[in-house]
Amino acid sequence: MRRPKKPCPITEAGIRFVDYKDDRLLARFISDYGKILPSRLSGVDARHQRQLAKAVKKARFLALLPYVKGQQG
Amino acid sequence: MATLKTRMAPTRPYEIVYIFDSALEDATIAEKLEKFHTLLELAEPAEIEHWGRRQLAYKIGRHEAGNYVIANVKAGPATLPEFERALKLDDSVVRYMVSLIERVLGAPKLSDEELAARAAAADDDDDEDDE
Repeated sequence: MRRPKKPCPITEAGIRFVDYKDDRLLARFISDYGKILPSRLSGVDARHQRQLAKAVKKARFLALLPYVKGQQG
Repeated sequence: MATLKTRMAPTRPYEIVYIFDSALEDATIAEKLEKFHTLLELAEPAEIEHWGRRQLAYKIGRHEAGNYVIANVKAGPATLPEFERALKLDDSVVRYMVSLIERVLGAPKLSDEELAARAAAADDDDDEDDE
């Protein structure tokens, strides 16, 4: 049995290209430890997942997102 | 592809994110921005967005907070090395990132109003479909 396909949350938000400065948006797609969620969990389509991965990495460099969450120091 | 683009347009759109020392005053930051931007030899003034003081997601050296400034500029690629050198030498710049804006529609302008407008438009479409 195949599950019905989840709609892509980024497409639904009307986003053409993922903005690395939008840390609120990006935070929805990282795990409790700060890892990028796989698209099979988040339902993001392939194109946006690629954009998302790059955006998260840029946001991490700019200290908008942590590299590792829930760690001291 | 890249060379072709450069040949066609001597300047390219860049987005520069600066993270300044949070202890710096706004006037000092404005002064520094001006100094840096003169190195880029801009034809038109930079579009500058101040985010203000923000907590960093992790410590960078001794810094726990930073003053974020985002600048959109059209600059020639040849001016960048000297510009970046100045940024690296300046101790008040905690971190910076220069990125080429490849998709004008995407990253820079979509964040706030356009997004809301798009969302509203999508909602309107849905409503029409229902009726």
